[in-house]
Amino acid sequence: MSKQTRAFDNKKLVGELFTLTYGALVSQLIKDYEKDEEVNKQLDKMGYNIGIRLVEDFMARSNMGKCQDFRETADVLAKMAFKMYLNITPTIANWSPANDEFSLMLDNNPLVEFVELPEDRSKLNYSNVLCGAVRGALEMLQLEVEAWFPRDSLKGDNVTELRIKFIRKLTDALPAGED
Amino acid sequence: MQEDATNVLFELLHDELISYVYSNDIDMKSKQISILESHGFRIGQSLAEQLTKDSSRFKDELEIMKFVCRDFWSAMYQKQVDNLRTNHQGVYVLQDNCFKLLKRISSGKQYLEFAPRFLAIPCGFVRGALANLGINSIVTAEVISMPAVKFQIMIQRV
Amino acid sequence: MAVCIGVIAKENYPLYIRCAPNVENEVNFHFTVHTSLDVIEEKVASLGKSTSISTTDLREFYLGQLYPSEDYRIYGYVTNTKVKFVIVVEAANTQLRDNEVRSMFRRLHNAYTDVICNPFHVPGDKIKSKSFDSVASSMIVPERKKENPLVI
Repeated sequence: MSKQTRAFDNKKLVGELFTLTYGALVSQLIKDYEKDEEVNKQLDKMGYNIGIRLVEDFMARSNMGKCQDFRETADVLAKMAFKMYLNITPTIANWSPANDEFSLMLDNNPLVEFVELPEDRSKLNYSNVLCGAVRGALEMLQLEVEAWFPRDSLKGDNVTELRIKFIRKLTDALPAGED
Repeated sequence: MQEDATNVLFELLHDELISYVYSNDIDMKSKQISILESHGFRIGQSLAEQLTKDSSRFKDELEIMKFVCRDFWSAMYQKQVDNLRTNHQGVYVLQDNCFKLLKRISSGKQYLEFAPRFLAIPCGFVRGALANLGINSIVTAEVISMPAVKFQIMIQRV
Repeated sequence: MAVCIGVIAKENYPLYIRCAPNVENEVNFHFTVHTSLDVIEEKVASLGKSTSISTTDLREFYLGQLYPSEDYRIYGYVTNTKVKFVIVVEAANTQLRDNEVRSMFRRLHNAYTDVICNPFHVPGDKIKSKSFDSVASSMIVPERKKENPLVI
């Protein structure tokens, strides 16, 4: 079985496998939960679990030290983490005057590559796993944040915007984890 | 070689799907396996559609099997199947000596009992891909010794 | 430009049929698409047999023109997953070349693949995807009468 047939673009295919697996996960949650809000919550929770596990891998790959401020965190998140794991580089935008809140603009979201949201799913935040993952990962780095999607191209917005808000610095104690 | 980062993310997601399905109705082990298998089926179906759209027309069953062992396997696991055997009566055995989704849990015997939940989705992958290519089958997997796995495909002829 | 585009499932029932907006005999087109299936099956079966001839075009998805009719030309395409695409063109439309038909099929096939990968789509169900519809619609002859502008 050593004969090579065609050379596939492996990175793209792993990406597709990820996209399709995520689709399977969402479809399972939709079967199990009546309300879109519940599904969103579950997706966020799963993202959180992924985020807290991903941090270690990220640290090993990036050799990053601690970020100096929230602006640097935004930079690392967009230009390194999103690039590394999702192969996209979101644009950082809409900083709040206090520099404690910013948006990642995703002009290309691999999670929704094939997705067309049914009309009766208008409250579903399909990509909510990303909110959880960002929240989980930053929490492991002693940053408590909130993350949500104010705009989503799946719902007809012209851009997908992931908003991240700094809440507080955590002390070195272990994070409390999910309730 | 360091594993591709997108792969790490896939594996974490895959684990989340498994542990989510297992967090529901604890008493129904066989149901959980079949839920996971059906997700694998759906994904396999989609990927077969994707991966065969630029190839030429398959002329027979063996060509389809070779596609599964080479292209499909490479797309899923970045390696090909190590061995393909058939009895020429509709049974094919695919052997992967280092099955990727078991590699991470293979470091101890105590994890062997977890193998079935990690093999349900991959069995579905194969069954879904074959079904979409017009072959109905039953796919089962057996751990030879961690992380080597044998997938047995029994073609269902109508 | 086509007057009718059809997508037929493995099991030979229609997944999608779209006709030009000004055709009067839409039922006829459904019938045409359906009859073309037999020709497709025949063609594919004959290709399967002639394994000794190893020319590449026998392994192609594009089957070319299926059968001639007085008013229309009917083209066929079959994927490895046994889904059939049919494009019906007016016989009077002589500018359309083989390569263009081929590329129309490619575009339909790509769009179809995306439909299958949509987690909300149930394989085997009729195609309801808006993006597939817009790809197919772009290949359909537009309404000829322009008196009534489209209101969106």
